[in-house]
Amino acid sequence: MISFHNFSFQYQKLTEPTLRNINLDIRPGEKILIAGPSGSGKSTLAHCINGLIPFTYEGKLEGTMTLHGESTTGKSIFEISQSVGTILQDLDGQFIGLSVGEDVAFSFENDGVPRAQMKQEVERALTTVNMLDYIDQSPHDLSGGQKQRVSLAGILSTQADILLFDEPLANLDPASGKQAMKMIDDIHQQTNKTIIIIEHRIEDVLEQLIDRIVVMSEGEIQAIGTPDEILSSDILRKHGLREPLYIEALKYAGCELSAADELTQLHHINVPKFENALTSWYNAGTASTSSPSKQPLLDVQNVRFSYDGEHEVIRGVSFQVQTGEIVALLGNNGAGKSTLSHLIMGIVRQSSGEIRLQGEEIRNWSIRKRGEQIGYVMQNPNQMITQHMIWDEVALGLTIRGVSKETIDAKVEHILRICGLYPYRNWPISALSYGQKKRVTIAAVLAMEPKLIILDEPTAGQDYKHYTEFMEFIAELARTGLSFIFITHDMHLALEYTDSAVVISGGEVIANDKVASVLTNAEVIERANLKETSLSVLARVIGLPSAEGFVQHFINYEKQVKHHE
Amino acid sequence: MSKMGTLYAPGNSIFHRMDGSVKMLLFAAWTIATFLFLDLRVFVVMLLVGLGLLLSAKIPFRRIRVIFWVMIVFNVFNTAFILLITPTYGSELTGTSTPVLNIGYNTINLETLFYVLTLTTKYITLLPISLLFIFTTHPSQFASSLNRIGIPYKIAYAVNIAFRYIPDIQSEFRSITNSMQMRGIGFRKGDAPFIQRVKNVTSIAFPMLYSSLQRIEVVSNAMELRGFGKHRRRTWYHMEKYQGIDYLVGTLSILLIAGSIWMKVSVLKGFWYPL
Repeated sequence: MISFHNFSFQYQKLTEPTLRNINLDIRPGEKILIAGPSGSGKSTLAHCINGLIPFTYEGKLEGTMTLHGESTTGKSIFEISQSVGTILQDLDGQFIGLSVGEDVAFSFENDGVPRAQMKQEVERALTTVNMLDYIDQSPHDLSGGQKQRVSLAGILSTQADILLFDEPLANLDPASGKQAMKMIDDIHQQTNKTIIIIEHRIEDVLEQLIDRIVVMSEGEIQAIGTPDEILSSDILRKHGLREPLYIEALKYAGCELSAADELTQLHHINVPKFENALTSWYNAGTASTSSPSKQPLLDVQNVRFSYDGEHEVIRGVSFQVQTGEIVALLGNNGAGKSTLSHLIMGIVRQSSGEIRLQGEEIRNWSIRKRGEQIGYVMQNPNQMITQHMIWDEVALGLTIRGVSKETIDAKVEHILRICGLYPYRNWPISALSYGQKKRVTIAAVLAMEPKLIILDEPTAGQDYKHYTEFMEFIAELARTGLSFIFITHDMHLALEYTDSAVVISGGEVIANDKVASVLTNAEVIERANLKETSLSVLARVIGLPSAEGFVQHFINYEKQVKHHE
Repeated sequence: MSKMGTLYAPGNSIFHRMDGSVKMLLFAAWTIATFLFLDLRVFVVMLLVGLGLLLSAKIPFRRIRVIFWVMIVFNVFNTAFILLITPTYGSELTGTSTPVLNIGYNTINLETLFYVLTLTTKYITLLPISLLFIFTTHPSQFASSLNRIGIPYKIAYAVNIAFRYIPDIQSEFRSITNSMQMRGIGFRKGDAPFIQRVKNVTSIAFPMLYSSLQRIEVVSNAMELRGFGKHRRRTWYHMEKYQGIDYLVGTLSILLIAGSIWMKVSVLKGFWYPL
């Protein structure tokens, strides 16, 4: 179906090839996962498959790529897009129509299909993905999972027999991600189209059956195999990818894994083989050290807020953040997480309730005054950076405060050293990677010497390796007494790096506890669109006494391992 | 702004059902008619008809409030400037001069006051029909109408897309300024000296530009992957066949143009001054 033979590609502007010596055959009706860390070339490979390379991104191609047995050289992007339908990562950016119906109709319009027939086809495509009721709505009013259904309908309407999903889970909360994978699987079974999924969140993709995994790193294919083969080896970890948590747990417990153990399907896992090792590993776990009670830094008490004076979006929220604590603010899209952070930052003011910082009510503080104590780091660093040079960016807030030049120089140097950016101090920011830019934004906020930093989706857009580096850095800062709030729907992040979790749903706090107990509480998981972690499923399948205890042990163990590395 | 990110106010009046290209024709005819005359009688009639049409479309007032007040303020300023700069201009049109108010360096006369009244009514005459056109035309329908009257569909679509991104850019601007304020960078009066504030606002241009470029890349890839530009012609999901009302209004518009030219040439040649 798709075949690469000794294929290489080099972008026009780069001096090194991004893809090297790719040999890959994708068979008709196959469901294949292409995984790799950022910069591994997996997106470039996707662009080669859907024709954006070489039509939009120019460069030097070597070797051959064939589609349905024909070489793609000389074909137009339109011919290729007739066989390959792509669903892009950026769910909002790819909507073209102003209503759901119009968006699905887009490729019909371009094909010049008469209007009456177009309407019928659109309705049929929307029925397939179960979204017909939303035909006249704006795509922007839909939830993440619904958006994905609509873009899928838009692609299904083209009759393409290959569906390419570019990071389909990137912007979805855990439950929607799970549904999305289920939907892809349903489409696969109904239509038997070839499915190619590009993702680095391997655990979530593997919830549904996958035929083969292609592991990419540094522009080359490192391994191709069935999920069982890949999971039983060390390939993922070796190439900076995250293994499923339960696989990590099995490895920590010292289990020997082999491809015959049905590792992919947790419910059918080879229980007798792993039972003893896991039980003894679990029993060896020491009770978690309870952290000594500290000073509450931020105290939110019974805060209420509505935008229009009628519909309350925040309904009596209370929680505390201690000095040096990392708190995860979890919840589904639209639960009120952003509004809550806006309340803390002073962008909007509560209608009742109190927000105290070190005991002082801050209701009448301006955004700028709060900014001296509370830092805020946006999800996308490109939206925060305004200067050309790293040094200037970090110094910006201090310069505006009117601090003397000597003090600024000393402070900026100190902060750049802490953040590991000192070697780059005179670089233009545009030369940095995404993760490094993210550090620059943290450095710029640190320069203001806040006591609390709010991080919006701190790990978005970063692969496991960069994510780990970045989070270790944050954990280090927390040990110096800085507090953090993470606004996130990344459950792995919450598991590993936060002390407690506040779960919001419908503008109310539905749980406020240790992460391990929140993420093993079925009711909370259901209401907040979270997902049961595979660790607690494993604990259940094996028959361990307490899922929560197992998860807690895993977290403690992992912290120790990371600390020694 | 509606959530769709456009000025479109959904509804089911005659104007909502009318094809965009016919509305454009009506708008053009109305504008031509207005600019041909300098006659208060014509404007009063047109204004009343226009207001009647506007009311029939049932656009909620709060949606049009901003544009409405902008027009009023513009008119007030316009009137004031004409009166202050050329307080006797009316006399040049009528040949008479009836002093009303002495403003030191000159005297405002009755002729000029009447001229200003006529001019203001002229501008306001355009208001209802512009509002109708803007608020009852779905942007996608507008794009298909542009294409229907012969504008290449790529350009028509670009117009559509540009409208679509206005709200995204607004919300992005807000979130960027918020994060800047958290870092002590002032945008509001009293936060910093004026020059500094201007500098602060311009510094946002950098991240805004960056993200716009990214946005353009994503959407143009998405469009290309779904076959935009494949053929020389395309069809439109939102293009309706012309209905009876479209033919009727189209014909009336052309009659309006023809009629007003005839009136201008043979009946109401110049500035009407009854006093």
